[in-house]
Amino acid sequence: MKIVAIAGSIAEASYNRQLVAYIASHFAELADIQPLSIQDVPVFDEDLDIADYPAVQALADQIEAADGVILATPEHNHTLAPAMKNVIEWLSNQVHPFANKPTLIVGASYYTQGSSRAQLSLRQILEAPGVGALVMPSDEFLLADVQTAFDAQGNLSDPGTQKFLGTVMGKFVQWVNVLAAMKPTPDAPAWQAEDLTASHPTDTTIPVPMDADDWVEQGAAKTHAASGHDYVQLDRGLLTVDQLNWFLNTFPLEATYMDENNQFVYYNHFRDHDDMLAPRYPAQVGDAAAMCHPKRAQDHVKQVLHMLRSGKTDRFAMPVPGNQVNAKWIMHYYQAMHDGDQHYRGVNEWVLDIWPIVADYLKQTGQQLVPVPGAKVDAVSGASQSATAPAKPDADTGASAASEPPAAPAKPAPDADTGASAK
Amino acid sequence: MKHYIGIAGTNAKHSTNRQLIQYMSHHYADSATITLADIAGWPLFYKTPDHTVPAAATTLAEQIQAADGVIIATPEYDHAVPAVLSSALAWLSYYIHPFAGKPVMILGASYGALGTSRAQAQLRQILTSPELDARILPSGEFLLGHSLKAFTDQGELTDAKAVAHLDELMANFAIFADINAQLTNSLRAIHKGAQA
Repeated sequence: MKIVAIAGSIAEASYNRQLVAYIASHFAELADIQPLSIQDVPVFDEDLDIADYPAVQALADQIEAADGVILATPEHNHTLAPAMKNVIEWLSNQVHPFANKPTLIVGASYYTQGSSRAQLSLRQILEAPGVGALVMPSDEFLLADVQTAFDAQGNLSDPGTQKFLGTVMGKFVQWVNVLAAMKPTPDAPAWQAEDLTASHPTDTTIPVPMDADDWVEQGAAKTHAASGHDYVQLDRGLLTVDQLNWFLNTFPLEATYMDENNQFVYYNHFRDHDDMLAPRYPAQVGDAAAMCHPKRAQDHVKQVLHMLRSGKTDRFAMPVPGNQVNAKWIMHYYQAMHDGDQHYRGVNEWVLDIWPIVADYLKQTGQQLVPVPGAKVDAVSGASQSATAPAKPDADTGASAASEPPAAPAKPAPDADTGASAK
Repeated sequence: MKHYIGIAGTNAKHSTNRQLIQYMSHHYADSATITLADIAGWPLFYKTPDHTVPAAATTLAEQIQAADGVIIATPEYDHAVPAVLSSALAWLSYYIHPFAGKPVMILGASYGALGTSRAQAQLRQILTSPELDARILPSGEFLLGHSLKAFTDQGELTDAKAVAHLDELMANFAIFADINAQLTNSLRAIHKGAQA
């Protein structure tokens, strides 16, 4: 635990500074207690800029970085010393390092009061909104008759006082710990809740181990799935399973079905792995999304899935890295699927090279492409409305590998291969 | 005709507390002279080993000594008086005691609604400390809230009620200064009698 301690005095000799030094050395095992000097803090003036006063900025930074603060205040004219108030004014104007900082007040004075009124003033000041410290309640450490309180070695000479200070310090460490535990953690972005392990079975989930290589065969046995010449009634038509396969496998694109549990349950298997634009192996079907995406891409996958699940968008499109202008332009499209009740039922992902289509169109219409003068082109994300984060080509998978998720989920940079490709 | 020292507890370039003192010195010119004291630029108080104070503090101490009373207008920083004011008061009570027995009126102006209520309470506490030992006008507060909108371009207070209230306080302060002078004289007489 890191504690900083400030004696509110700029006098050449100060008993409160001595008290701070004593606390720092005597309770070193309890916490790392670092005395801070306020000697170089100029008179606060609201017209001054803290940026011009490195000593003040350094003080602010050290308080900011600490887990807790101990303030030892002298009493002057029934209130805290001007030097201490002066520091607090600097640290409650442009910067606010005391905000929510666990703080302990102690103080020493010449006579019987032991800085009692200064401590009350200081407490009131520290609790003002611009300061916002969390001052420890209950125990007050008031060191009276300070001129005779320390022995020659700088230790408190009265054993009772020593013991009481130990109790106060013990409570303060507890106070710091309790407040640290209460510190609100910033709300995790909603997309982080996307469960890529597919551990929320849905009404279509089949009770077969997801990682089984023969997940399809096991599942088919369990569900007595239609096959071959069995008819399936569709909206709108009637096909046998064979016919369905012939049909799906002749679309000029690679299609993948990721259900609402983020389980990869289908792809149209008409090319071998090595010939695919987004390569898949038959054994991958059934895998959870987490198993078919490299770890570095998973935040991006989550962002896209969340966008589609939450309805932020129904379709997300992105080109893959490594595309070549006017030669090959592979696009991934992620389309949210919904049932008749508008419940999200997963993602239809399709992958295709759109260049042959564009080239054919140009040929048929006798046109050429011309670049827009001065247009800013991002070769990676140009074709996509929302993929604005730069992606780097990845030699292994052809997948985008922006290593950091973007700050806002509204602008995701998903792995180019949100389908299934890790094997 | 009373003579007062007016202290605006600030070192800011633009201060509605200074504006308030300036308004009073102009508005009450028929009944009192109010000299505006400047505490900007004083060093931060520390206990000088040789017990000296800055020359500016010595000068102001002499002016206070000669005056019938002191009017302090305090801003409020962090629920308290600004350090620049508490520092000035610390210098003005370090081996010199111009405030001892001196009538003081406290007021204050703030940007928000509260009008320095907490700083005034603290200032009262500070002024009653033994080294200052001021005689503070006991009742009646003047809390000027929303002070950025309180004055006309000519520096007049716009709120007639506030003006009437301040008039009353100023009249009371003059009476208080007279009574205090009598009190001080009779205390002196008692002390002399006790010593005799």
